[in-house]
Amino acid sequence: MLRATLKGMAARKARLILTSLAVVLGSAFIASALVLTASIRATVADLSGDAYRGADVLVQPLEPENRGDRLVRDGVTAETLAAIESSEDVAEVSTTVSWMVNALGEDGKIVGGFAPTLSVNWGDASVERELREGRAPETDREVAVSAQFVTESGLGLGDTVTAYALDTDETAYEIVGVYGYSGGRDSLSGATELAFTTPEAQRLVFGGEDAYTAVAVTAASGVSADDLLASLEPAVGDEAQAITRQAYVDDLNAESAEATKLIGYFLLGFGLIAVFVSVFLIANTFSIVIAGRLKEIAMMRAIGAGRGQITRSVLAEAGLLGAVASVVGAGIGVAAGAGLTSVVANGFLDTASTSVAIPWTAPLAAVAVGVGVTVLSALVPAVRASKTPPVEAMRAAAKADKPILGVTVTGLLVTLLGATGIVLGLNETFDGDNMNLMSAAVGAGVVFVGVALLTAWLSKPVVALLGAVWSWSFAGRLGRLNAARNPRRTAVTAAALMIGVTLVTATATLLTSVKESLAAQFESSIQAELFITGPVTSSVPATFDPELMDDVRAVDGVDTAVELYYDVAQVDGTEQSVNATTDLEGGIALFGGEVVEGTVENLAEGQTVVNESSADLLGAGLGDTVAMTFSRGTESREFTIVGILADNADTDGWYVDRSYATEFYTPKPTTALVDVADGADVEEVTADVEAVLADEPAVSVQNHEEYLAQVTVFFDYAIIAIQLLLALAMIVAVIGVVNTLVLSVLERTRELGMLRAMGMTRGQTTRMVTVESVTIALFGALLGVGTGLLLGWIVQQALAPSGIEEFAVPTALIAAYLGAAVLVGLLAAIAPAVRASKVDILGAISYE
Amino acid sequence: MPLANPPAPQITRTRSAVTASNVWRAYGSGEAQVVALRDVSVQFASGAFTAIMGPSGSGKSTLMHCLAGLDTTDRGTVHIGDTALTGLGDKALTKLRRDKIGFIFQQFNLLPTLTAEENILLPASIAGVKADPEWVARIIATLDLSERLTHKPTELSGGQQQRVACARALATRPEVVFADEPTGNLDTRSSGEVLRFLRRSVDDFGQTIVMVTHDPGAAAYADRVVFLADGQIVEDLHRPTADSVIDTMRGFENRVPLAGEAR
Ligand SMILES: Nc1ncnc2c1ncn2[C@@H]1O[C@H](COP(=O)(O)OP(=O)(O)O)[C@@H](O)[C@H]1O
Ligand SMILES: [Mg+2]
Repeated sequence: MLRATLKGMAARKARLILTSLAVVLGSAFIASALVLTASIRATVADLSGDAYRGADVLVQPLEPENRGDRLVRDGVTAETLAAIESSEDVAEVSTTVSWMVNALGEDGKIVGGFAPTLSVNWGDASVERELREGRAPETDREVAVSAQFVTESGLGLGDTVTAYALDTDETAYEIVGVYGYSGGRDSLSGATELAFTTPEAQRLVFGGEDAYTAVAVTAASGVSADDLLASLEPAVGDEAQAITRQAYVDDLNAESAEATKLIGYFLLGFGLIAVFVSVFLIANTFSIVIAGRLKEIAMMRAIGAGRGQITRSVLAEAGLLGAVASVVGAGIGVAAGAGLTSVVANGFLDTASTSVAIPWTAPLAAVAVGVGVTVLSALVPAVRASKTPPVEAMRAAAKADKPILGVTVTGLLVTLLGATGIVLGLNETFDGDNMNLMSAAVGAGVVFVGVALLTAWLSKPVVALLGAVWSWSFAGRLGRLNAARNPRRTAVTAAALMIGVTLVTATATLLTSVKESLAAQFESSIQAELFITGPVTSSVPATFDPELMDDVRAVDGVDTAVELYYDVAQVDGTEQSVNATTDLEGGIALFGGEVVEGTVENLAEGQTVVNESSADLLGAGLGDTVAMTFSRGTESREFTIVGILADNADTDGWYVDRSYATEFYTPKPTTALVDVADGADVEEVTADVEAVLADEPAVSVQNHEEYLAQVTVFFDYAIIAIQLLLALAMIVAVIGVVNTLVLSVLERTRELGMLRAMGMTRGQTTRMVTVESVTIALFGALLGVGTGLLLGWIVQQALAPSGIEEFAVPTALIAAYLGAAVLVGLLAAIAPAVRASKVDILGAISYE
Repeated sequence: MPLANPPAPQITRTRSAVTASNVWRAYGSGEAQVVALRDVSVQFASGAFTAIMGPSGSGKSTLMHCLAGLDTTDRGTVHIGDTALTGLGDKALTKLRRDKIGFIFQQFNLLPTLTAEENILLPASIAGVKADPEWVARIIATLDLSERLTHKPTELSGGQQQRVACARALATRPEVVFADEPTGNLDTRSSGEVLRFLRRSVDDFGQTIVMVTHDPGAAAYADRVVFLADGQIVEDLHRPTADSVIDTMRGFENRVPLAGEAR
């Protein structure tokens, strides 16, 4: 008897722990997301607090924040600097000359990915640099580099590095020093940096002009920052601007707060998906636990407990469990968030020193969500428990499955409702594009819920089908039958897994479709076989010498070769992309463009060609005049529209004569298209063109595939990022599978004992549980893949008018998900299978 | 005090299917130690129907578990046929149970996912062998289960379920069938059906059966009744009738109070 009692308690303890686990995880996610966000913000604030430490006022050029695609026209001049230095309120002045630079790594390729490469003058005050090896640059051909640069370039102390800025030629420098930053950082947010002497930095940024991108001023003792700011006003004038260092740091913080807010929403969003998944888990666990206590509940009903009392007692238990578990979860979440901060800080901000911030909302929200979710999840099982008829207490243990008709009918109705929304949206029933898109998107979400409700109904045929695979083994067959035994339980467990898989499949499908659509458009329209271009991520746009184009054209087998210049210019006061080329007609032809009106032949000075929608945007048409100011242009110029192009993603924009390219941000061509003559050997031509460009390391010769891969690299990153984040929801779902299995095994102890008594081996028992697990996991994954493909297709269809015309199935990814599902099933089965195979036969079959 | 020599079992058939020699089994240790079996020696003849009786807690189930390779003995040996169970590992014991032993439990213990027929064939399926179809058909016919083969356990009455369990126990022609209170959960009519079948399987098929029971009426179906009290064999009755069983129980009632009445 004591044995039975202890056993019962142990069993109940396992159940309690498993139920709590889901709640703990859910609330831990919420707490850690909140703590992580707050901590990243605090860490970033600390980092920006490092900027210009010790200075009181910063003097900067006008619009200093525009980097990269803008020119820094005017730095803070030497005269301004002299005027600042002569002020009596100034104790110390430090100058900064920093902008974008391209450096070539050991492999001759441009260093850097998405983070920029910067040039700076050694010794500036913008950040504290700590020399790790060597010394500071002393001559104009020496450079010190950041530790991150060493990592990314493969170069080191004593090596020679080639670098160039937008308007300078490639120059070789000797690396004389390697440095890091305060806090042991290798980089500032992943950027690579090269520190030159001040005159060399000025040559790179200002073409040798004695100017600065920032002047940090320290006040004389007794002078406040505000006083200094006021007293510097006449010296600064309107060629530059001065702000207090505090205001500068505040601005930086406000900016990073904006950015981290997005990260926070993002994390919280994925955390909430995980919580949503754990609702299934908790509800399922409660259902199973209550099913195991049905006799007890029926007995209580028999001796006079009311329905309300039963419901309340289950809910009270849920509330208590939710409270305890969510407090534990909040604790774990806060700790995890704090711990993750250093990981994130290391990975993304590249700093070892982190600040952990724990907002009081974090534990509070975690506990609120935990308790709320638990009680809500327990509601359905509680109500169902209260409906237990008292005679249940007298019935034999084996009970028939509850009917699933209600859920199925609801599921069908919900699915139909969603489908209606989708059909209406896709057929553009509503006025206004957004209404249609909304209708399709909301419909898709509703279908998702509908399918989730239909899982119980779907489980029978699908599990039977999946089970056919295992039928060769008797243990496998039993496992399959067990998986089909409680359709509700299997369905809810699988649905939890389905959510994550649906979302990854849908996003992967959509992104792949977008990628394929771009590729298809590209293939159908682009006539050129080869592209000459550099990496899209380079800090200074990759360019090449236009003189080489004649040599390219002279290569045997090259039909046409057209180079393109690119600028972001002001057109009638709006920012527009403007292209220039020597051979507009040839270029348009190679891009597969189409002329609607006017002509594109022999574009003369003062003439421009534009695509339809860009013209419409300005309300301009053929023969109208627009005003353009190019990046380097000092004045606005008038252009008459002489040709209109059909809209086409590859040729959209404005076109002007090549002579204007000198006023472009990049006065050299960034891209060239090469049309290989029919019958010529493309590989041979490629090699010949490469030979011509041998001295232009920034650019390479690419074919369609290589070019597309480069242009669409973002989508690959996006797919990976989303999958990583949804892995969280998957983990919860996996715990759900483990949970269901362990509880099922507990519930079937007697049955397992009997099977073992009759001679079932441990191996067979293990196999039986594993098959059940894998079947449930595969079922969930299949549902997820199916629903995900459907959702992806719907959104693709809705986006088809915007050019996403191809529907592409990410087959390899889907195969990977299904493979992962099998793996998940195998992993989830380990603990329950071991438990099942170790079942105490005597304990299980003796009946006292 | 254990007897120097156990009461010599009278072997009614040529060979004994199950033999226990000087079996000891205790649970727990120290103060709380319960000796469930003390020096039990007994042989069960092949092709005979033997009942084990005794008050609640006398060690009936323990004896059966030790005989069936479900529990280990502290001392003494158990043989099923010629195979000694003592010292066998889990794998070997599992295989032995699978190939040589059939079980009937008090709880009907059918797999709810399988039909009656699949349940009957379960031991064969576990062993990965094909049950002799003629033999199985004969058992099914004898148990009057032909109409119920496609039914799930939940669709069967208690008596029908226990009949399925009986069919299952016999389907692989085990060397011995152990039944622990097989009629404990049944009404009189169903009990009669099950017991008559067990009797028939011994008479017609030569099956060896060892059955634990409380019920003198059930014991009367057996060829022999072994009485246990306080972990020892106290009586060995051949060709019992309900009355002779009750008389025997009365006989040692003064020694050990009879705790449980037949349910
Ligand atoms: N696993 C066990 N742990 C401790 N004591 C046990 C265990 N199994 C049986 N016993 C004890 O051994 C004695 C014999 O039990 P059992 O063989 O079940 O008797 P019966 O079947 O005749 O009622 C009882 O006193 C019982 O409490
Ligand atoms: Mg017993």
